[in-house]
Amino acid sequence: MSTPKLELVNVRKDFSDGSVAAVDGVDLTVTSGETVALLGPSGCGKSTTLNMIVGLEQPTSGEIRIDGVSVVGVPAGQRNVGLVFQDYAVFTHMTVAKNLAFGLEVRGRPKADVAKAVAEVAELLGMTDKLKAKAAELGGSELQRVAIGRTLVTRPAILLLDEPLSNLEAAARLAMRRELRRLQSEIGLTIVYVTHDQIEALSLADRIAVMSAGKIRQVAATSDVYDRPDHVFVASFLGSPPMNLVRGQLMSAAGDMVFRRESLVIPLARPDLQPRPGEIVFGIRPEALTLVPAHDTPLAGPVTFVEPRGPEAVVTVDLGAASLKVLAPARGRPMEGDRVGVALDPAQIVLFGGDTGRRLAL
Amino acid sequence: MTAPLRTDLAAPALAFAGVTRTFRGAAALEDVSFQVPEGSFTVLLGAAGAGKTTTLRIAAGLDGPDSGLVAIGGRDAGGLEPKDRDLAMIFDNLALYPDKTGFRNIASPLEIRRVRPAEIAARVTEIAATLRISHVLQRLPRTMSGGERQRVALGRALIRAPKLFLLDEPLSSLDAMLRIELRAELKRLQRELGHAFLLATPDFAEAMAIADTVVLIRAGRVVQIADPQTLYDLPADRAAARFVGAPEINLVPVTLADGGLVRVAGGMVAVPPDLAARLAAAGGTAEAGIRPEHLALADARTAPLRATLADVEPLGLKAALTVTAPDGTALRLVVEAAVARGLAPGAPLGLALETAPMVLFDTTTGRRLA
Repeated sequence: MSTPKLELVNVRKDFSDGSVAAVDGVDLTVTSGETVALLGPSGCGKSTTLNMIVGLEQPTSGEIRIDGVSVVGVPAGQRNVGLVFQDYAVFTHMTVAKNLAFGLEVRGRPKADVAKAVAEVAELLGMTDKLKAKAAELGGSELQRVAIGRTLVTRPAILLLDEPLSNLEAAARLAMRRELRRLQSEIGLTIVYVTHDQIEALSLADRIAVMSAGKIRQVAATSDVYDRPDHVFVASFLGSPPMNLVRGQLMSAAGDMVFRRESLVIPLARPDLQPRPGEIVFGIRPEALTLVPAHDTPLAGPVTFVEPRGPEAVVTVDLGAASLKVLAPARGRPMEGDRVGVALDPAQIVLFGGDTGRRLAL
Repeated sequence: MTAPLRTDLAAPALAFAGVTRTFRGAAALEDVSFQVPEGSFTVLLGAAGAGKTTTLRIAAGLDGPDSGLVAIGGRDAGGLEPKDRDLAMIFDNLALYPDKTGFRNIASPLEIRRVRPAEIAARVTEIAATLRISHVLQRLPRTMSGGERQRVALGRALIRAPKLFLLDEPLSSLDAMLRIELRAELKRLQRELGHAFLLATPDFAEAMAIADTVVLIRAGRVVQIADPQTLYDLPADRAAARFVGAPEINLVPVTLADGGLVRVAGGMVAVPPDLAARLAAAGGTAEAGIRPEHLALADARTAPLRATLADVEPLGLKAALTVTAPDGTALRLVVEAAVARGLAPGAPLGLALETAPMVLFDTTTGRRLA
């Protein structure tokens, strides 16, 4: 088995006041050529994790290895990792060529080598015709490309990106996402990046590590994180809108399994399930629900909110003890106040432990 | 003789009529007219630099128009100071007093007006409950989450109960997920309170989710005023079509052929008669706007359009495919993620095109052909 490019073993970072851990026992292995996204809300510890990989912060305990060698204690500049921030850090008074050359020049590389490396990176980024332009004349996505190019030119073992696209406008962000995916496939870069934007994570990463409260809740292939969330937080964080989550009980009623919360009873049509004591969290994606005529089902109620999305609309239906969000086609969508029924695909139900938040094996 | 503008209940909370504002010879706003009806959630949608903030500043009285009229509640606001306009403005930086608790931040507009402490306490408590921030009233802003700070800022604006709220990208500095939650909450609040909201944003998804009416502006001019679904289905021009919707709309040249057929992306498709008529009226050629969801994969042997797969972008449950038609046209469509996983780059694909929702744009002006 080949050595992983990057390994984090039980990495912990306590806040200076010792109250809570910013990063609370993180394990992560990244193989060569892989792209892993650290996804989570602000304050979840993802940027602190990235900073520890770079060396800008030191872990309180735990091990960080690059190519099998511990880098704990190695100064930030000597870890052979490249970090790109969201605020570019491009020297706007310099030309693009100068910016790209900067990292190598400060390392005292021979002029000819620098020129060659700059030409290669410019070619890779499609910026050969911009080399003589002042960075101040560039647009947001071009600046971001220069920032990435400045890092690439030093040939880092790992490229680390901190919210690389969050400062860009929608169209530029889309273009940059394509660009990054092209770079990944062309030069087989190992990339770890931090984002709070699930679309960014889903569209760029091979695997996603979803973080909350300093812990990795799940690390898995992008489709698995979405389709088979291990933790209720993961289910609540991915999806647009995220999974419907309702607390209640799993019980048997007249021989069939139902989910119950107060007056709300959802037949599960799942003979494979067993009743269980204690509270559970019932989860179903808005995409797995469909709207049906109200008289066709006991699961019916008034529409309280309709959010148009263009091709579809997010329709919130008040079922009494809980509201469910349904992703419905824009054409034929109901109006607020209409009474509608909700039908669900039993195969897509996910259940989580009410106390642990972990997904229940069914 | 013109009657003076008067306050009456039917008057919009805010009206711009032919407002122009020029900075150093360059027009920031040009002949801008729109209304924010009483109790409506109106969204000013536009890219950075389109004139959104200038519009809000003029509405607030922080800046004045060079020409044109601004009316608040049916009254000419020309001579009104910002403080006399009965409106609240919320910016994206959520500037709270860092050394004051949540309670005192929300209470500050009433403290300035010397409202009795008992009344202040009652109103702050009520607003905090509506905003679901009762738990942060005794805390300082730095210990609050972004969403909590956002709501405290909102609470401070709400406490005065103004008739009109102006919000300048109030959610732009927040996490993606929180932004989606809070925009639904903003809408709920606006409904419950019944005040008129004018919110500026560059994010079309945000605009679609919360607006009763969207005012789309570009380069200082109003491009279109419509409800969200109309803006999406019938954009006023090519640029509006591209600005609204993700993945972006496909813009493809089309030519009228015989028998109600249209040549598109190297293939032939049948179109509804009204579409053919519009195309004929435009001289037989136009640019078609095709939303990604109106293209679908179909059997390559029988499909009207052929293409090869160029790129797959995963989007969770769905994936965006970019395909290349035989004539070189690139098309984007959205398919189930599971379908996309079974496709290899370069794979030959068949495409079906739903032509009824297709929109046509004039090849030179970019205006939608109606």
